[in-house]
Amino acid sequence: MSLLFLLCLFVPLPFCVTSSFSAQTTQPQISIRWVPQEGGKMAVELAGLNAVALRPMASWTPQQFQRVLSVYAGATDAGLPPMLGKYRIEANALRFEPQFALEPGVTYRAVFQPGQVPGNSAAGNSVTIATFTPRPRDLTPSTLVAQIYPSADELPENLLKFYIHFSAPMRRGNIYDHIHLLDAMGKAIELPFLEIDEELWNQDFTRLTLFIDPGRIKRGVKPLEEIGPSLEAGKTYRLVIDREWRDSNGAPLKTSFEKSFRVTPPDRQAPDPAQWNIATPAANSREALTISFPEPMEHALAQRMIVVATESGEPIQGTVSLENQERQWKFVPATAWRRGRHNLIIQTTIEDLAGNNIGKLFDVDVFNSVQRQLTSQTVKLSFDIR
Amino acid sequence: MKRFTLFIALAVIAFGLSSLKAEAKLTSGMLEGAAKFQSMGPLAFGPDGILFVADTKAAAIIALSTGDTKPAAAGKLLKVDAINQKIAALLGTAADQILIEDMVINPISHNAYLAVSRGRGADAVPVLVRVKTDGAPEVVSLENVKFSRADLPDAPADKQVGQGNRQNNPRRESITDIGYLNGRLFIAGLANEEFSSTLRSIAFPFKTVDNGTQVEIYHGAHGQFETRAPVRTFTTFKIGKEDHLLAAYTCTPLVQFPVSDLKPGAKIMGKTIAELGNRNRPLDMIVYQKDGKTYLLMANSSRGVMKITTDSIDKVEAIKAPVPDGGKKGLTYETIEGWTGVDQLDRFDAGHVAVLRRGEGGSLNLEALVLP
Repeated sequence: MSLLFLLCLFVPLPFCVTSSFSAQTTQPQISIRWVPQEGGKMAVELAGLNAVALRPMASWTPQQFQRVLSVYAGATDAGLPPMLGKYRIEANALRFEPQFALEPGVTYRAVFQPGQVPGNSAAGNSVTIATFTPRPRDLTPSTLVAQIYPSADELPENLLKFYIHFSAPMRRGNIYDHIHLLDAMGKAIELPFLEIDEELWNQDFTRLTLFIDPGRIKRGVKPLEEIGPSLEAGKTYRLVIDREWRDSNGAPLKTSFEKSFRVTPPDRQAPDPAQWNIATPAANSREALTISFPEPMEHALAQRMIVVATESGEPIQGTVSLENQERQWKFVPATAWRRGRHNLIIQTTIEDLAGNNIGKLFDVDVFNSVQRQLTSQTVKLSFDIR
Repeated sequence: MKRFTLFIALAVIAFGLSSLKAEAKLTSGMLEGAAKFQSMGPLAFGPDGILFVADTKAAAIIALSTGDTKPAAAGKLLKVDAINQKIAALLGTAADQILIEDMVINPISHNAYLAVSRGRGADAVPVLVRVKTDGAPEVVSLENVKFSRADLPDAPADKQVGQGNRQNNPRRESITDIGYLNGRLFIAGLANEEFSSTLRSIAFPFKTVDNGTQVEIYHGAHGQFETRAPVRTFTTFKIGKEDHLLAAYTCTPLVQFPVSDLKPGAKIMGKTIAELGNRNRPLDMIVYQKDGKTYLLMANSSRGVMKITTDSIDKVEAIKAPVPDGGKKGLTYETIEGWTGVDQLDRFDAGHVAVLRRGEGGSLNLEALVLP
């Protein structure tokens, strides 16, 4: 017997809630217990089976094993199927190894039917249950909304999206229940966002993209005519993230988060790099190259759609940051600037806050534009390092 | 599913005549072994029990040869209450710890296939679950299967950036729906940064070099403004002799465009044939026939299930001007009484539709209902 098992018998350790342990009459050595496996997993072991019992088991199907030993998620019998796992015979024991890691806080029941053990029919219908509850997750709230972009407190009426950044990974499912857009009177705006079942998270679930329903932005479409725009110029709003939103542990947020902003008239001007102001650093320094935009740019795209390159087009490595409410783009090179001509290569799909691209508005008359395509995917701005 | 039926059925009949040959051809280039997934999202059946599974996290489509090609016994329906609780129990977890991403019916065997996430965070484990008409869910083992994989091309944008947080690019593309038609797989997608609607088309069997084609879809909405809204769900439909895609956008205009227009780099203007209302999201869509007529059945977030007549689909004029007082224009529809809480639907057999619907206490019920 393992030390852990002996401990489980006599000490109610939180990670080892083994209970209802008992042995049966005809095979007095048969015992059921939860045992740790490699990698922190747990298994159920039915020990003390004799050769009469083990011999036929060598050719058993999972269904036959389940009649002897089944493991269930849930503290009580709700008539649900047993969980998946592998049955293995080791020495004189039958082991059940769950296919998936056990869920913290869920009570698992290993149900042993002694009467189903070959050669043990005299044991009758008495059932032995061993339960185990993995330590519940720590539900102390610790995750916060770290930032919401755009960070400006004045946003255009045709704002296209928000990015919500969290300090730790969040969990999926029913997220839109926790996002509220309120007017100045505290009244909720009805369905302002594009509710996408897939939920637009980044890879590690720390950033959510929240599109404002384009039907509530775009001119001439039915939702806008029937229920009006989500945002109206001249009014103030609060984007509220309520603290009931759960992080990946299942804990609520530490606090709710509010972003207040005033709405300005719609932005129907495409970004124009010719209007950008480039401040160039000195040669042989690692000072930042700075681009000042006349309007805030979309945070995520501005970070990756502007490349600094040598005159021959070789990208220069460095670090990008956005400042001044996304009106200023800064690039610090990994190595000192070399004297000479450089280029900024900008993808035309970079966006302002209204989703307007270089040379193309988000919201344009289809019959004037649908056949027109930008011939170039990038535009180039040159600057000299002296 | 979100999805397909009419053409799946036709495909089944067509392929049925030479199914062994066809099956061999479709699976001949497949790998055998463990099919690995990072996630499982939209599902769609092709011919011969081939199941397409969208792995959104990996930006890939995996075609699985399920081998589930035994025709269904006549008259066997599907009714499983609290399927989410049963699947959670099978996976050894609590019902609130799983998400059912999509559900499709194998048009041959009538078994339901569900893409399930065990867990709701970044460490969620994707699981493919099959529910036979006896109602017992089972996990489909992917350890030793025939499969092929098509990786979707990343946005060209990504490749041009050589600086900044390149090791942690937060850009991802979601796949909102997939569907198979005549040797091609259609994939509707949406990125979590640039706002655009893309529809890719990939030849099947997958070729190693074929990254598919990408198109942007536009539809002339009211007031004739260009819309790049994402396609939520789509299905295929024959209008006259030509295959069309019918796409439901997130704000419920129903738009049609010919499949033949989906060419690499094409910019397509679809025809808006119906406005199905606001405060509402389309969830899933199938085509079916009843009493010699063809209908669309669409599940919506707030209007229940809509039955849309297609009688005049070839004649209906594109909606180009605002519809006054919220009245109907284009194709007409009726809302099916009592069909509440339907999240997913797929055609079950000629007379039934399988639905996944929300019941009491957070339970999800899987059942085959008589087509309205």
